[in-house]
Amino acid sequence: MVLKTLDVLGPLHGYGIARRIEQISGDLLAVNQGTLYPVLLKLEQEGAIASEWGASENNRRARFYRLTKEGRRQLRVETQDWRQTTAIIARFFKAKAEDLS
Amino acid sequence: MRALRRFFTRLFNVAARQSQEERLREEIEQHVALQTDENLRAGLSPVEARRQAMLKFGGVEAMKQDYRAERGLLFIENLLGDLRNAGRSISRMPGLAAVIIASLAIGIGVNTTIFSWIQMILFEPLPAVSGAANFLLVEPRTETGGYPGASWLEYRDLRTQVPALRDVVASQMVAFNVGERGQTERTHGQLVSGNYFSALGLKPAIGRFIRPEEAERPGTEPVVVISYDYWHTRFRGVPGAVGQKLRVNERELIVIGVAPREFQGTMVPLKVELWVPATMTPALLGGARDLEDRGVRAFSLIGLLRPGATREEAQTEFSRAMAQLARDYPQASAGIGGEILPFWSAPRGPQRLLISGLAILQGVMLLLLLAVCGNTANLMLARGSTRQREMAVRVALGASRWRIVSLVLSENMLLAFLGAGLGATFAVWGTTALRVAPMIGAFPILFPARVDEFTLAFAMLLGAACGLIFSAAPALHLARLDPQDGLRSSSNTPPRSRARKVLMGVEVGLAMVVLIAAALFLQSFHSARQTDPRFQPEGVLLAAYDLSGRNPDEASEREFAARLLEGLRSLPDVEAAAIATNVPLDLHGIPARPFTVQGRVRTEEGQDRAISNKVTPGYFKVMGIPLVEGNDFAGMHDKAAPPQAIVNEEFVRRYLNAADVMGRRIQTPAGSFTIIGVARNSVYNAFGEPAQPAIYFSYRDLPADQGEIHLRTRSGNETGLASEARAVLRDLDPMLALYDVRTFPQHIERNLYLRRIPARMFAVLGPLLLGLAAVGIYAVVSYAVARRTREIGLRLAFGATSGRVVLQIIRENLGPIAWGTAIGWVLSLVISIRTIPKSPVNLSVFIGVPAMLLGVATLACWIPARRASRIDPMAALRHE
Repeated sequence: MVLKTLDVLGPLHGYGIARRIEQISGDLLAVNQGTLYPVLLKLEQEGAIASEWGASENNRRARFYRLTKEGRRQLRVETQDWRQTTAIIARFFKAKAEDLS
Repeated sequence: MRALRRFFTRLFNVAARQSQEERLREEIEQHVALQTDENLRAGLSPVEARRQAMLKFGGVEAMKQDYRAERGLLFIENLLGDLRNAGRSISRMPGLAAVIIASLAIGIGVNTTIFSWIQMILFEPLPAVSGAANFLLVEPRTETGGYPGASWLEYRDLRTQVPALRDVVASQMVAFNVGERGQTERTHGQLVSGNYFSALGLKPAIGRFIRPEEAERPGTEPVVVISYDYWHTRFRGVPGAVGQKLRVNERELIVIGVAPREFQGTMVPLKVELWVPATMTPALLGGARDLEDRGVRAFSLIGLLRPGATREEAQTEFSRAMAQLARDYPQASAGIGGEILPFWSAPRGPQRLLISGLAILQGVMLLLLLAVCGNTANLMLARGSTRQREMAVRVALGASRWRIVSLVLSENMLLAFLGAGLGATFAVWGTTALRVAPMIGAFPILFPARVDEFTLAFAMLLGAACGLIFSAAPALHLARLDPQDGLRSSSNTPPRSRARKVLMGVEVGLAMVVLIAAALFLQSFHSARQTDPRFQPEGVLLAAYDLSGRNPDEASEREFAARLLEGLRSLPDVEAAAIATNVPLDLHGIPARPFTVQGRVRTEEGQDRAISNKVTPGYFKVMGIPLVEGNDFAGMHDKAAPPQAIVNEEFVRRYLNAADVMGRRIQTPAGSFTIIGVARNSVYNAFGEPAQPAIYFSYRDLPADQGEIHLRTRSGNETGLASEARAVLRDLDPMLALYDVRTFPQHIERNLYLRRIPARMFAVLGPLLLGLAAVGIYAVVSYAVARRTREIGLRLAFGATSGRVVLQIIRENLGPIAWGTAIGWVLSLVISIRTIPKSPVNLSVFIGVPAMLLGVATLACWIPARRASRIDPMAALRHE
């Protein structure tokens, strides 16, 4: 989700990412925003995203995260994986008893 | 890949800890600020806006924990913490730590030194040659199990007939006389095949090596390669040495190059100074027929295994080749097969002699190290028990068992590695000390042992093993601790620790085994100087000569010996003079040869063997060995008398039942001999050996090209004779050098050298171990007593005398000690009977050592017990 958000919106700070995830999920995913940071760190240490200090919209100092090349590749792979998974699950839901006979 | 990257970043983060913490703090700050702004815009009051923002963010500390766990490696951080903690706690007990580190260092140092010698023999048989493990000995072998060496022509055939060996090199050890007439010096060299240096993969220090074509046709290239040391001692290490001339066995050779520094030839540990093409053999050795006669098996062969080939393949091909040679040249090769051997099982040379001795020594020293470990475990256990409260607090505060164990472990490991590091330093010193070994026998010997990465790894491995061994008990003890108990029962009734008693017993038992080994060794070493060798070494001068460079025949050998003796006997200070091929108590031993004797039928399998020495008339007089029957050998020029032999008393007792010995005939491969006398038994190979059968043959019947001159002086000043003896030899042959001149007592001392090293080790380590054991017992007992102060106080208050209290404490602790001693005693008795069969059990050692150990142990118990019994009962009860 973090990767996709960054892919769509470009470089963003932590608060922005949290807000965005809330908005997209229609506030269904209202987890503690704090848990985002360990995830961001993990992604950064894996090299999927990079970060640097910058100024936010209202001129606050904020740390901006952006997707790296490696991150884009990872996103592609995971998107595909996800599609495959959902497709399989979907087929299970579509399947009716008579289809199997 | 991703995981790896994450790991390294985390590892890096462990190092750069501070700045990251700052970053997180700031990010959280900004996050909350942004949310607050948003909430403000939504119309909340500033205070509420911030509260809502904080709520939404969630638990900051919990998140920080997650963040930290994600960022760094908890495991490594803990480890570093443990190490810091260990360092602190070690520095709080400097005395104890010093004892532990020093005792471990000695144990590990001694073991590493011995290992470096073993490693040298096993893995680095050829110093300066890389990949020496791929070189194998190629040894022709006779049906009777002898290793006669290979002839030059045979070598040329084998080079092409064993494809599993990429290269085969031949060399022959020779003693050259180097220098101008009248001032020659005996120098050891090797006659080598043309591919010698290239196959060994050596690079010259300066100049060049022998080219293959220089060892093709006989006598073509008078060139010589010198050793690095020789270059420095004789040519002052100047580059101009290349191209200079060197007079070797009266031939002028041109120095063409210098071998690399560490290289000492292919007969390690013998040290070679000169290498000459094998084709120079006839020119240098007085027309020797080595190059054309297949019967002259003078060369040693070394093969380099082809990559991918195995020793078994080489063996098969070699056997096939030898079988073919036996068919083609039945006269010279019939019945001769062959073996391909690794260096360490060389049939010749001192390696074989050393390796078994070293293995035993290593075993004993590992036991010693184990005893040191036991001692350390005891000390740590005693100390660990005093830390029960600390550990209980840690557990109560939420430390896991594993964290406690790792805390104890890291502390002990730190100690162990400090000990191992210091031990490795000792080992460096120890191997250097071995390098300066003197010449042993007629050969210059250099042990190329050194401390390299293998030995260092061995030291560290020992350290780690020790650390684990002596951590186990305290770690288990502390990890099982119940925090409630630990906190509550600070110093009243202590749990009776069985572990402590078992450990004490084990330690004492191990110490017992090592001490007995040390005592046995020391005693045999000292008795070596005191026992009567049954001949008289005092006042005898020994010196050797060697005619092999002259390639003499039997007649000239006999003539030379006779004239030499004449010259020596005419010296005014010489009381008696003789020549023999072997000197008793030589490091290499006197050979035992097979024989059959008239009147004895051997019932068992195999052959009778007796020590055999070839001596000139007068030998028994020089040596002070009386003849109990018969007479000395006939004179050197006597042509009438039949071949003669003199046997010793043990020979008569064992083979002839003491019935009419004289005139019986002894049959050996060299011929038939008549017994003309019986000599008293004497010592031949080692002090304290059981009586051995021996046969003396006469130089007149079996002359040899080498001899040991024995001179007995009138005045007792044998050293003064050396120059006169030299002059006598020079008059006979100005090109010959008298070498290895020493008095008989010096000869004995020198040949005990290899035994003196372990003897010194034991002499130092034995008392040290005893002291350590005492310290260990003392620590344990005084700790146990301290924990029972209250109980002792009660007893005293109820009227127990201090004497009874002391007695009781000693009795309690002496129990496990006595058990350990008994088990150790039985163990060492079994070992001593197994390893040295046939010799009587050394009672003084087997009674004295346990008595001493028990005495020291009792003292170590008594001191703390006595102190405890002196306490004032009132003070003890109020204690705490």
